[in-house]
Amino acid sequence: MPLRYAPRDDNNIMKITAAQYAKTLYELTAEKSKNEIDKVIVNFVNILSKSNQLKNSGKIIANFSDIYNQENGIIEAEIMSARKLESSQVHKVESYLKNKYKVKEVVINNRIDEKIKGGIVIKVSDELLDASVARQLTNLKNKLSA
Amino acid sequence: MEKINGASKDYIIEQLKKQIENFQVKTQTEKVGTVIEVGDGVAKISGLSDCMASEMIDFGNNIYGVALNLEEGQIGAMILGNFENIKEGDTVKSTGKILSVPVGENIIGRVVSPLGEALDGKGQIKSEKFYPVEKIAPGVITRKSVSQPVQTGIKAIDSMIPIGRGQRELIIGDRQVGKTAIAVDAIINQKGQDLICIYVAIGQKESKIARIVAELEKHGAMEHTIVVVAGASDPASLSFIAPYAGCAMGEYFMDQGKDVLIIYDDLSKHAWAYRQISLILKRPPGREAYPGDIFYLHSRLLERSARLNEDFGGGSITALPIIETQAGDVSAYIPTNVISITDGQIYLESDLFYKGVRPAINAGLSVSRVGSSAQTKAMKKVAGKIRLDLAQFRELEAFAQFGSDLDEKTRQQIERGRRTVEVLKQDQYEPMSMENQVAILYALTQGFLDDVAVEKIAVWEADFHKYLKSSAKNVLNLIAKEKELSEGVIKELESAIKNFKEIYQNGN
Repeated sequence: MPLRYAPRDDNNIMKITAAQYAKTLYELTAEKSKNEIDKVIVNFVNILSKSNQLKNSGKIIANFSDIYNQENGIIEAEIMSARKLESSQVHKVESYLKNKYKVKEVVINNRIDEKIKGGIVIKVSDELLDASVARQLTNLKNKLSA
Repeated sequence: MEKINGASKDYIIEQLKKQIENFQVKTQTEKVGTVIEVGDGVAKISGLSDCMASEMIDFGNNIYGVALNLEEGQIGAMILGNFENIKEGDTVKSTGKILSVPVGENIIGRVVSPLGEALDGKGQIKSEKFYPVEKIAPGVITRKSVSQPVQTGIKAIDSMIPIGRGQRELIIGDRQVGKTAIAVDAIINQKGQDLICIYVAIGQKESKIARIVAELEKHGAMEHTIVVVAGASDPASLSFIAPYAGCAMGEYFMDQGKDVLIIYDDLSKHAWAYRQISLILKRPPGREAYPGDIFYLHSRLLERSARLNEDFGGGSITALPIIETQAGDVSAYIPTNVISITDGQIYLESDLFYKGVRPAINAGLSVSRVGSSAQTKAMKKVAGKIRLDLAQFRELEAFAQFGSDLDEKTRQQIERGRRTVEVLKQDQYEPMSMENQVAILYALTQGFLDDVAVEKIAVWEADFHKYLKSSAKNVLNLIAKEKELSEGVIKELESAIKNFKEIYQNGN
């Protein structure tokens, strides 16, 4: 009788996605001491190199940081402004975001973009709050030409 | 601002000031995504977590896309319009709106793109009302069966393959056999009637569309017509949405209780456009490389043609989809699909076309499954015999070459058949009114043409119509009014025919 399915061997196991690797790594390292984590990391990298997954390490790291942030109530916010923000302004934005997303910690990454003319643009994952002067001017233009 | 014609400058400035003062600064959170891959009119986007299926996506610079594939972590979207300026890493916004097109009375008489933008240079189309491009067809309880005819003005169709309002009648045939000509004639014949026509050109040559629009304008048929154009050089995404957009424009009028005739020219190219998009989106190919939902693509479109009953306004959409076959192959994938969806087909043959039978309708293979219940009684009476005459003629045609060896009855049937074929010939852009059709077909079936030479029938018919128009107008009016061949009408009609024959014989 002919074989219907190819026999499974170690080279033919199902592909593991970067997200799955990252999730496993998080579960192994959560609430462990520094020593234990170092051990886990070494083993993890060994497994990655054995299964030729080192090329995906960038993706795995990105996924890991997403999971870590989510589990620990951290969000990363990208803030665009025309001039450098003063620390009091940054604090205001921080407390606003903490309140809005109900998180413990906000990591703020401030960028300067003169094209927005003034005001502020806040981006958190795929949500965008555009309170720039440039945007308001376009809105006004659209309203006047309608 | 149109109201301030002739007013002083100060007034304008005051108005502007007021508008600027009243302008409110509003900010709200939007969902954004990033283009991770773009090619061949399709973009892969990450982010946009709350995106709906077939939601419009704003690529900036007035270019929009439609989300087709919602996958874990990414969205596959087709881009409506020019996709050359979209780069990897661009930020896109969701709009929260399902793809919709502007609808309304002011679109009638215009040439528009599938997104409702003017293409005829007659100024921007402003409309407050929008209809979704994709919509579920009217349900069972809203419908009723066809009861009123669509007069195409083509003798062969109105007599043998009648079309009712709300019907879907396929026009099928090879390239260059006059499929579009039938559709255009049907539009021209609606001049001064109550049918609103929508011509949807899908992947057609711009030159052909320009010619059709010019022809419609020449015959004054643009006044009741909308032309929706997705040209051959437009992206496949526009060809894909064109018929749905045209249908949405028609649905607006149907909801007002009006009757609409919509022509999809042609659905083969529509299927090609959808195949292209599906393959680029990496959906698995099936037979002839079409995706698995190609049947649903056309069935959901054609189901939107309907005759609504009085409780739901009583409007209707009649669809005339066109399919182009390759070398007469009606058993290819798309033709068989569409044949099974529609309520009948008009089959055009290139052999007949080159023989000079134009329109080249094959009466044997063409059917209308529901239209006969909408046919006027007068037409039904005269048309009943024509199909039979033609069928017998085709069987006996092979014997015709033996000439004199045939018995009297067979010879008579062949002669009648030849005359029937001759009478059913009709020039392009010359649709005929119902009463004229009934008159000439009555003369034919009652044997009044048997003593006219076959090659002289075209001239005879033209003179006959001229005579009816000038000297027997009352007969035409009577048929148009009664729509029935009662004994009184028959008597009048017969005497008119006899009178004409007398004059005609004396004249020659």
